[in-house]
Amino acid sequence: MTEQPAIRIAGISKRYGRTEALKDVSFDVGRHELFALLGPNGAGKTTLLHIICTILRPDTGSVMVGGLDALAHPTRSRRDIGVVFQEPSLDDRLTVYENLNFHGLVYGVPGPLRRDRIAELLELVELAQWRDKLVRTLSSGMKRRVEIARALIHTSKILFLDEPTAGLDAQSRERIWKYINQLRARRDLTVVVTTHYIEEVEGCDRVCIIDRGSILALDTPAALKAAHGQQLLRIVPRDDAAAAIMAEYPDATLRPDGEIVVQSSGDSFAESFLSRHGPHIRRLSVEEPSLESVFLSLTGREIRDQAAGARERTLAFGRQGGEHTR
Amino acid sequence: MNVTEAIRLQAGGLYAIWFREVKRAIRDRGQLIGGVSRPLLWVLVMGIGLNPYFRGEVYGEVRFVVPYTYLQFIFPAVIALNIMYTSIQSAVSVIWDRQFGFLREVLVSPLPRATILLGKILGGATVALFHGCLVLLLAQFADLSLSAGDIARGLSLMALMAFGLTSLGVVIAGRIRSFEGFGVFSNAVILPLYFTSSSVFPLDPSLTSAQTSVIYPEWLTILVRCNPMTYAVDALRGAFIHFQQFDPRLGPAALIAMAVVFFALALRGFAKA
Repeated sequence: MTEQPAIRIAGISKRYGRTEALKDVSFDVGRHELFALLGPNGAGKTTLLHIICTILRPDTGSVMVGGLDALAHPTRSRRDIGVVFQEPSLDDRLTVYENLNFHGLVYGVPGPLRRDRIAELLELVELAQWRDKLVRTLSSGMKRRVEIARALIHTSKILFLDEPTAGLDAQSRERIWKYINQLRARRDLTVVVTTHYIEEVEGCDRVCIIDRGSILALDTPAALKAAHGQQLLRIVPRDDAAAAIMAEYPDATLRPDGEIVVQSSGDSFAESFLSRHGPHIRRLSVEEPSLESVFLSLTGREIRDQAAGARERTLAFGRQGGEHTR
Repeated sequence: MNVTEAIRLQAGGLYAIWFREVKRAIRDRGQLIGGVSRPLLWVLVMGIGLNPYFRGEVYGEVRFVVPYTYLQFIFPAVIALNIMYTSIQSAVSVIWDRQFGFLREVLVSPLPRATILLGKILGGATVALFHGCLVLLLAQFADLSLSAGDIARGLSLMALMAFGLTSLGVVIAGRIRSFEGFGVFSNAVILPLYFTSSSVFPLDPSLTSAQTSVIYPEWLTILVRCNPMTYAVDALRGAFIHFQQFDPRLGPAALIAMAVVFFALALRGFAKA
């Protein structure tokens, strides 16, 4: 028997009324791979994740998880996956331990193994001394760490992380990636992560760039940069020169802070640009091919333009509502 | 997956969900205060206050001496009221889970939806049954001396009632998205159900149906007779004061019907969620 891919999805489409959230999406995720879904908010990443986790049914297409048809056997395939949702999903009136123990019971993990795993995972995410604290007293970064630990209490072979680092400070984000890497070293684990933080996917095995419900590119970060990456010129013009530059380079983008981003075709491009507009610019920097530029050349937009905002507001609103209703 | 594993999963999951509901209720002081103050008001203030007005009424020519005091009459109904409030309010946790994402954690688990729902309803019903028992502590004020048999019979009726009403709460919660809306709506369900269940005044058994409709307007008697809680409260009276206005088989039948129908409705709504 040849080894099955951890996940194989084929021809997935999903509509919400008139909007097509996903259009004919297909890909495989190999065993033990660290696979990233990259795209702006509303690209369809979360919808896709919910379909693979079997809590949302696609209109068409098939989902195989570890060789098992997940659409036909949802409860069985759920035993093999651990999910960290985008929105917090802990019961914050229970303690850290009670949340983890609840998860273990609900997944049928036998008692001694449950206690061992909880202790081991709390140690890993450095929250052992918070074991008996109510979850509502934890910071949002700590809650996210509890959720990661929770997703691994049962024998999950695939870990899904939906925007695990969104809304967290740089230090917490770094820690979360550290834990993910430690976990992959320890047990046979396939990890699928969605993010709109482009710098985070550099360390992933493969990156799937998704926008408006379609896959734009899927490859290793290095191959993506080689195929689609472009050198970028970031220009801060003097007051009146912006319009002239924008007119000359129709595919340039003007950011809200006044910076102009022009796609460069090579070093000679920068030279010719300088010879023409040199006197009119305040600052110019050359950016080597990055995933940022890959995204820009594939979609014509920068991922940052629409990245933050909506989600952060939703989260803040949820927290407020949470306080009111307690 | 072998059989032991399947049983461990179902039983463990059911236990975890049930225990979570109970634990949350214990930590919620407000709920407990309501569960204590409500029977105190109804039994000690309302019951003792109206007690003297209840003996030996004269209905036209017929003078009828009832075999119980008002306090005794209202006592089983207050148990029902306390169970009703707690049961229906416990369904707030369904809205809470949906709002704060915890529902996802349960839905993505390998437990079938029916097990999840059953655990939740059993949890809410346990808390409601406990609140019903709080009323029993006031039995001595109503001059009730209860035998162990009475209590056992009463408790099983109360458990059935708690299960049915918690299911009703989940059905309501399935349709309502906000906490505020649920509070208003649940009161709009609880109070009419309570007041038309022959709980605060008897549809007097010594009167013929013709005489009843002379004393009470017809719409009221119809409402009372249609309300399943009438028969449920009546069954509790049978257990606690050995007096029933209706056929003793009607009470358990109404309670079982409520439990089955509301659970089925709750499951239908929950499977779609």
